[in-house]
Amino acid sequence: MSEIMAIASGTWKNILRMKVVYFLILCVWILIGSAALYEVLSMGQHKPLMIDVSLALNAVAAALVVISITFEIPRELRQGVASTLLTKSLGRTQYLAGKLIGIAVAAIVICALITVGSFVIFYYTFTESIALPMFQAQLLQILSIIPMAAIGVFFATLFPEVVAPVLTIIAIWFSYSVGVLQNIPLLYGGILPNLDLFNFRSQAVYHADIPWSYVGLVTLWGIAFAIFALMLTSLFFKVKDIK
Amino acid sequence: MTEGRCKPSVFPPRTDTGREDTLDNFVIETENLTKDYSSWLRKAKRPALNNLTISIPKGSVFGFLGPNGAGKTTTIKILMGLIRPTGGMATVLGKPYDDVEVKNRIGFLPDSPAFTPQLSAMEFLDVCARLLKIPSSKRKQRVEEVLEIVRMAPHAKSKVGTFSRGMLQRVGIAQAILNSPELLILDEPLLGLDPYGRQEFKEIILEQRDKFGASVFFSSHILSDVEEICDSISILNKGRLLCAGKLSDLLSRDTDNGVLVKIRQCDDAVKALMTDADNVQKKENDEWELTFKTLSPELDRKINELSAKHGEAVKRLNAREDLESFFFGKIEEDNLENS
Ligand SMILES: Nc1ncnc2c1ncn2[C@@H]1O[C@H](COP(=O)(O)OP(=O)(O)O)[C@@H](O)[C@H]1O
Ligand SMILES: [Mg+2]
Repeated sequence: MSEIMAIASGTWKNILRMKVVYFLILCVWILIGSAALYEVLSMGQHKPLMIDVSLALNAVAAALVVISITFEIPRELRQGVASTLLTKSLGRTQYLAGKLIGIAVAAIVICALITVGSFVIFYYTFTESIALPMFQAQLLQILSIIPMAAIGVFFATLFPEVVAPVLTIIAIWFSYSVGVLQNIPLLYGGILPNLDLFNFRSQAVYHADIPWSYVGLVTLWGIAFAIFALMLTSLFFKVKDIK
Repeated sequence: MTEGRCKPSVFPPRTDTGREDTLDNFVIETENLTKDYSSWLRKAKRPALNNLTISIPKGSVFGFLGPNGAGKTTTIKILMGLIRPTGGMATVLGKPYDDVEVKNRIGFLPDSPAFTPQLSAMEFLDVCARLLKIPSSKRKQRVEEVLEIVRMAPHAKSKVGTFSRGMLQRVGIAQAILNSPELLILDEPLLGLDPYGRQEFKEIILEQRDKFGASVFFSSHILSDVEEICDSISILNKGRLLCAGKLSDLLSRDTDNGVLVKIRQCDDAVKALMTDADNVQKKENDEWELTFKTLSPELDRKINELSAKHGEAVKRLNAREDLESFFFGKIEEDNLENS
């Protein structure tokens, strides 16, 4: 476990020290705040609009972080950082687990910052406190990072830098398009996670409570999917030649 | 050069050592190790590594030589469990090459060291120390110690991503000696260093052996450095082992008390000399090499006369070759045979 955490902490430090991360967060805050400008266009509906926009943008930010990570892992493999680490007494599955945890932690920190910022913006714009469903919906949005990061790690480990991000984008997009694709057997929960399980934008907008037991279960489901994806990745990664 | 003077061989001969001994005496053993990079997409002309059988004795500083693309990095990566051989077997410190636990006792420097760019040198070494299971109480102290050894202490808190090639090489050595390893496997450790750095590194490598009894296995292009610090070498070309052995044996074998004459110009006197030689070999560009196993006073006089007369065209070499000419000789011989 200590090896996994060594890799994980190295990974999240590496990501969270990139300046571009804070630029992304700043941009998202500005976009969320700009929802207040749509008072006329939305016919006075700019409050629900802001709630909706902050959730949607948080999802986009999470996806962006995961996608940018799919550049990081192939680069680490290609440049030989991974070979320095993997030639310590560290199993390949442990390395992957450390990477996944590190990426998930970094992405969760980023999205949590976005969430906190969006609440502050909301509070100052409407001088209205944050309703529980808004908080729950943001929390679920943040938790959806766990299965998303697992998909990212899968593609990033097994495909080269040019292909991995594209495949990850497609996979995340499909994971949100449950309505269209749900008739394809085995696709959701088998190969792809159902990210709609984490999507509670309408509840947040219309202030409908989400049961905490649901939040707990869906978190467990996300972790289970991540472990499954990790094992699958490890199966291939174990026999891969490392540069 | 005498034929068969240095056949691809197991080093040292281990006919009279028992199995138990073998485990104790060799830090690396490979048998018919083969790696073929070809895939269904792309066929390679020849395997990158072809039936490599070699044994590295404990306590030696072993130089692994060969021109670019000879298969040195491939061998080292197999030994470190990074790539899988297509055939043969290898043991490191008596354990199979893919054993995870044994890595705690090995220090490894990859051919182009790269580290997590946003971490400082100290933080990266701390990650390595944790992976090597150095107890947390000693970790910080040990990291500072190795940074001091490789003279990177002033840059301990700078981000690795900003380092030059030579500085990366220093951090690379630091992480390799972090666990005071029993075996150091270094891929081109002297590359990218300034002359001071090379000197320091040679000292660090030798210190690891003298102080901690480490065995060292390293690949290199820089023959003068190899000659300076290695006690044994092997030469690899196009994936095949050309020779292996103690440096002193390889460089003086058969020519003890003898002499080697290189000839580029032929007249009657030279032809007469040829008939006296123990071995005559034709090289490229009409060059000939004559080997005399024993040097009689009369022969000595004849050679000196001829070389006075023909100048550079008749060149007399010492009994002991330097590593450079030995290396070139071996590689050229092999390339000719297989062209
Ligand atoms: N990943 C790879 N894919 C295909 N061929 C490779 C790969 N790595 C090395 N080779 C080939 O294997 C041979 C040996 O390479 P290498 O072991 O790196 O040589 P050296 O380290 O002695 O310079 C070379 O011909 C090289 O082209
Ligand atoms: Mg090499």
